[in-house]
Amino acid sequence: MVRFKNRYVLCEVVSEDPRCRQCIEDRAVGLAIRDAIGRVHGDYGLACCSISFTVKYLNAYTGTVLLRCRKDSYRLLCSALPFIRQLESRNQRYPCALNTLHVGGTIRTCQKFLIQYNRRQLLMLLKNCASEEERRCVQKSLLSCSLTEEQPQSGDEEDDGSTE
Amino acid sequence: RPGGCMARAEPPAASFERRVLRSAAEHHYLRVRLELPDGVARPTVAQFKQLVVSALRELHGEVGAALPVDVLTYEEKTLSAILRVISSGLVKLWSALTLLGFYQNRRCAFRVLQTSPFLLALAGNSRELVL
Repeated sequence: MVRFKNRYVLCEVVSEDPRCRQCIEDRAVGLAIRDAIGRVHGDYGLACCSISFTVKYLNAYTGTVLLRCRKDSYRLLCSALPFIRQLESRNQRYPCALNTLHVGGTIRTCQKFLIQYNRRQLLMLLKNCASEEERRCVQKSLLSCSLTEEQPQSGDEEDDGSTE
Repeated sequence: RPGGCMARAEPPAASFERRVLRSAAEHHYLRVRLELPDGVARPTVAQFKQLVVSALRELHGEVGAALPVDVLTYEEKTLSAILRVISSGLVKLWSALTLLGFYQNRRCAFRVLQTSPFLLALAGNSRELVL
């Protein structure tokens, strides 16, 4: 059976400037990525990757971004991600970098990976807590995110990372 | 076959070996000619190479511009040159030359006259044969 196969690239926006978080929106990230692909791979690469390119999911608090592209051109996309140096929105630009966390064939596999990754990140955060106050805050937010009984599906709700 | 047959002198069976090499050449060579309108200053060899690299950069980006392309010969009078490119980059180079439209804001075109994985094959061109 012939069908169009997609690849979902999970990345994380890393920035030293805390104001960069307000800049993380789907249009800004999409434009930055298209611009980087155009610079690195030219008109041909830009056209190739734009066929089925969207920003599927975005989380400004954790800086998680999920991108979709065709299976034939995901290598062009992944090789252009390190060339993104800044995000621009509303006439403000902040320097940042994109780390690739995972490349999956479906959104479900990326979600499974993200859940495990976030769990590990929370444990690391707890370990690296500087003060007792922070430690108590992190523990409280860990214990407070749990499923309520009314949810019909027992799915894995994503643990949204702790607040800033 | 033992005995029985009519006497026939058969030479000893020669053993031969056939080797087929597909795309084994490292480089491909292209003879190209640049067509420019009259009145445009002819590019020097450095400007010619800059033109080729900028065509690659436009179509294939920084990765394309980094493709190792060499200008082996260049004749300023006829604007024809022999380019050498690594075999895996032939498609990128040829497509970039095809889609180049402008030189110093004037219309131009690249014509590819001959291409071959062997440089010696560019020496003779049966199209220019005068019978």
